[in-house]
Amino acid sequence: MENSKELLLVHREIKPVSLSAAVNIMLTPQFYTLKKEVLPVKYTYQAKRLAPSLFEGLLEKEGSYDFLVYKEGESWTFIAYDIEKISEFLHLKGFQQGDVSKIFFAQQSAALFLGPCMLNEKDALVVLDDTVVLVPVKALGEEVSSPVHFDKHFTPKKGISLEGASGSLFTMPQTILLASVFVLFAMMFFVEGSRYGGESQSTEEALQSLYADHPSLQSAYTREGIVTKYREIDQTERTKREAVKSLSSMIFKGVTLTTLTIDQNNVKADFTCSSKKIAQRVEKLGKKAAFKVFKTKGSHDLRMEGAL
Amino acid sequence: MSLKRYQNELIVLGAFLLMLSMYFYKQHAISSQSGESQRITQIIEEIKEVAALKKVWADKKINKKVEKLKTLVPASKVKWSKKGSKVTALYKNLKPSELNKLTTKVLNTPVVIEKLSIQKTGSSYTVEFKCRW
Repeated sequence: MENSKELLLVHREIKPVSLSAAVNIMLTPQFYTLKKEVLPVKYTYQAKRLAPSLFEGLLEKEGSYDFLVYKEGESWTFIAYDIEKISEFLHLKGFQQGDVSKIFFAQQSAALFLGPCMLNEKDALVVLDDTVVLVPVKALGEEVSSPVHFDKHFTPKKGISLEGASGSLFTMPQTILLASVFVLFAMMFFVEGSRYGGESQSTEEALQSLYADHPSLQSAYTREGIVTKYREIDQTERTKREAVKSLSSMIFKGVTLTTLTIDQNNVKADFTCSSKKIAQRVEKLGKKAAFKVFKTKGSHDLRMEGAL
Repeated sequence: MSLKRYQNELIVLGAFLLMLSMYFYKQHAISSQSGESQRITQIIEEIKEVAALKKVWADKKINKKVEKLKTLVPASKVKWSKKGSKVTALYKNLKPSELNKLTTKVLNTPVVIEKLSIQKTGSSYTVEFKCRW
């Protein structure tokens, strides 16, 4: 898929470009430092670990370098490149974000430079000792008459991508999308959090308003004392009144209340009933209202007792 | 290591951290609001209950209401004794209707009933009533 794209040979003197579609680019040795070594390692990752030490003293200290490593015959080829500098250069020459699909290095296609590749009137790429180098055209002899035609057939298998090479996990559009989603959620959380804070404030205002109406109740001890006192009174007095109401409901035709006594702890009532049937009815009502019912022998009189 | 090299990650990380901090802010707001609101609601309920109970059992017009118990039946039938916030009353020869009226009024008056004794004597009733407030 990548091979189907146009391959541009990029060198320092390249003219500014204006692209309508993404291309692959091949960089001349002006953009990388090459080293070949025979190393007793088997795998690329092992060789890649050794790369920084191999280039010690060869690279600019302020640069941030990555390495492309591959095996050619018995030796390992190490290509050191500064992706930031490459990106800056490409940007200067009119390459926009997304214009460059893959980046390759001229050295990767050394075998295909069968003749000089003319970059411009002054410089050309040639292969010397299996290494692609930049030479002045003037230095070329008869070879200048048989230059190679550079096209997408020079595209090697392995390349680097601008974003991938920079070690970035996300592309710019992905970054914008993710950051926007996170910021949106952040805003939603902030608004929700603020709303909860506001609700708390309104409850606090309601409390302050109540304090203003009842300044003496600001103390929890005072409130507790008053509540305990009045709750007890309220409960006891309501029980007394409920008891009297219950007893009143037992007075109907044939029933006479003879005594009723209520004190702080008890309630007692005596009823005189005109018949056994009525007495039974009153007894039933008394028991239903949780009174203790006592019958008087030899009469239809009933006594009801209840505790408060 | 250049920061610019990881600018995308830094932007995403920054946005993520912002979201995370706002999430914790919201959670904190919810939990503190919940705890604080619960506390305030409890205080409000207590105050309302105290106010309601005081309105009933510490009514400032209670003296007038108690005085009405004295005038509910003819004066000749009442022996009334009031000391501070305590009343002792003895009602004699009450008709059933008067008894009904009196007990209803007593039960509806927010006072602490210390004693209420109703005794049927013949066709009339004697009522002994002690209360405080």
